Amino acid sequence: MQNTMKESDPILEVQNLFASTDNLPILKGVSLTVYPGEIHAIMGRNGCGKSTLSKIIAGHPSYNVTNGEIKFSGENINSLEPEERSQSGIFLGFQYPIEIPGVSNLEFLRVSTNARRKFLNKEELDTFDFEELVKEKLELVKMDHAFLSRSVNQGFSGGEKKRNEILQMALLEPKIAILDETDSGLDIDALRIVASGIKKISNAQTGIILITHYQRLLDEIEPNYVHVMADGQIIKTGGSDLALELEKKGYEWTDNFVKET
Amino acid sequence: MKIIEKIKTNKLIDNPTEIQKFCLHKLQSRPLPNFKSELWRLSNKSKFSEFLDYSVNEKEPKFDIPFSKNSQNTIRLIIGENRQINLIEENYSIEQLSEDKLDEYFKEQISYFDQNQNWSDLLNLSLSCTKNILGLKINGSKIPPIEIFSHASNNSLSAKTLVIILEKNCDIELLQVNLGKENSSLSQSTFFCIEENSSLNHGVVSYGEKRSNLLNSLNVIQHKNSEYNLGTLHFKFNYARFEICIKQSVGEAKTNIKSMQITKKDEQISTYTRIDFNGPDGFLDQINKSLADDKSHAIFEGSIIVPKIAQKTDASQLSRNLLLSNFAQIDTKPQLEIIADDVKCKHGATISQLNEEELFYMRTRGITLPEASKLQLSSYFQEIISFIPVSKDRWNLLDKLLNEN
Repeated sequence: MQNTMKESDPILEVQNLFASTDNLPILKGVSLTVYPGEIHAIMGRNGCGKSTLSKIIAGHPSYNVTNGEIKFSGENINSLEPEERSQSGIFLGFQYPIEIPGVSNLEFLRVSTNARRKFLNKEELDTFDFEELVKEKLELVKMDHAFLSRSVNQGFSGGEKKRNEILQMALLEPKIAILDETDSGLDIDALRIVASGIKKISNAQTGIILITHYQRLLDEIEPNYVHVMADGQIIKTGGSDLALELEKKGYEWTDNFVKET
Repeated sequence: MKIIEKIKTNKLIDNPTEIQKFCLHKLQSRPLPNFKSELWRLSNKSKFSEFLDYSVNEKEPKFDIPFSKNSQNTIRLIIGENRQINLIEENYSIEQLSEDKLDEYFKEQISYFDQNQNWSDLLNLSLSCTKNILGLKINGSKIPPIEIFSHASNNSLSAKTLVIILEKNCDIELLQVNLGKENSSLSQSTFFCIEENSSLNHGVVSYGEKRSNLLNSLNVIQHKNSEYNLGTLHFKFNYARFEICIKQSVGEAKTNIKSMQITKKDEQISTYTRIDFNGPDGFLDQINKSLADDKSHAIFEGSIIVPKIAQKTDASQLSRNLLLSNFAQIDTKPQLEIIADDVKCKHGATISQLNEEELFYMRTRGITLPEASKLQLSSYFQEIISFIPVSKDRWNLLDKLLNEN
């Protein structure tokens, strides 16, 4: 396990979190603490609760937190709306970024960026200033300027959608970014571009949670911690070597672990 | 229903024209539409009565167009304004049809009228005085965009009629704007004849004020190799009914329709379309969108008629609807009547609420729920609005109107 900046306060603390949707329990006591500068990877089978955890942290209205709390920068955010969480610095990169036909990507990015800037008491950007900023950030993910004039994610390939997510992350400058299967649907080249973008954006003040099934993203971005989820709980935590172990052993043992416990 | 009483007692018009007499005679035999028929069964009777509860006012106050001209080129006309139009330029001509020509044209049209299906046209032609009928014959090329305004006056019923004959090998862009006033009814009937190899990009934007009503019918005849593109938007009417009837006279023509109606409060707005393919190789792409909020009611009924002669017809009709309130109501019925056996026809309808995942996505980017809903709605409008042939300036106006409403 690598050394991290434990001397500062945690950015995110998930404490014994239980959550359900339509009375179906999904999370069954998840605890997770992320300090500035840390990269955490959450791995696990489909349906183990990884994506649900990310959505609940982002404030998805379809899920009910039945017990436990989520603290962001020391404050309980259980009752905050998704937009309030985003404005205060929580970013969720979607596994399947949503297409919004008819809404220009440029305008969408500008409105989002200004919402965050407003929260940070920074001056909001007009179209011209924003164009300058976005031009610089496009470089990070090697995206063509033409993507800005298209509708949000409409007609984008899988890789382009993921790069658009990282572009949003770069613009919003979150304190914590939760990237839900950002590597899925990417070829090797696209994966490297996305990973390089994430590395350039992250810094000693940022926390990152990577949700993934595979080692290949973690080859590009080495995590400080790897957590294995099964049946709505984190059942094991280790360093980056745990991901390698999972790659070899697969996830079957997690089923047995759940049965036994 | 003041108007109906006057029709029954033959006291509607003092000096009726020949066409008015003819239509009145037809109406007297059955003054009201058949509310048991598919075309009228969902119409709100009490609102329909409100439409008919005003007197015809032939002396309308002067009308000022509520927005400035977006281009010097644009030709602007107001139906009811007593102005002679005779534009003969190097490349094109726009001439007013004489009363005799109009009489001849209407007589032919009326001979095809069905009492129930064309009830709105019969009423319109009974009420439209000569001054309120605008007939144009257009030919040539490089024709500037045309804007035509119809308006109602407060506390009265106004009837306006438009006839356009687009001669062979012409391309035009035409925006029709129907404006309702507080406590008013507007009856607008439009007749287009699009001759061979001609193309018409047509927009209809209708919006009212408090308790305004609209009965708008559109009859289009398309000849061989013609193209008719229609984009429509209707909102803010107590009661509005839009009837579209398009005939591809010999097939081999293209029709594209993108229409939308927005209802709020207790409004009822309906769109009825009938597309007849009277020959082979016809094409239709149609989408109708309804957006209903509060306790309002939006209706769409569309029929596509493909007789045996219309082989190789390619037609698609889609109805997409968005319910914004648990008390709003949307009725939709896209339908196909196909006799020909070698055709490609499809239709479908969806009714949904605002997409929660889209909203959540926007909210995770710091956009508030009301802003996200507005963005989602504007994306819903966009497909239709971008199809209406008007300039960017006008979009800003439309955006403003839509935001206000």
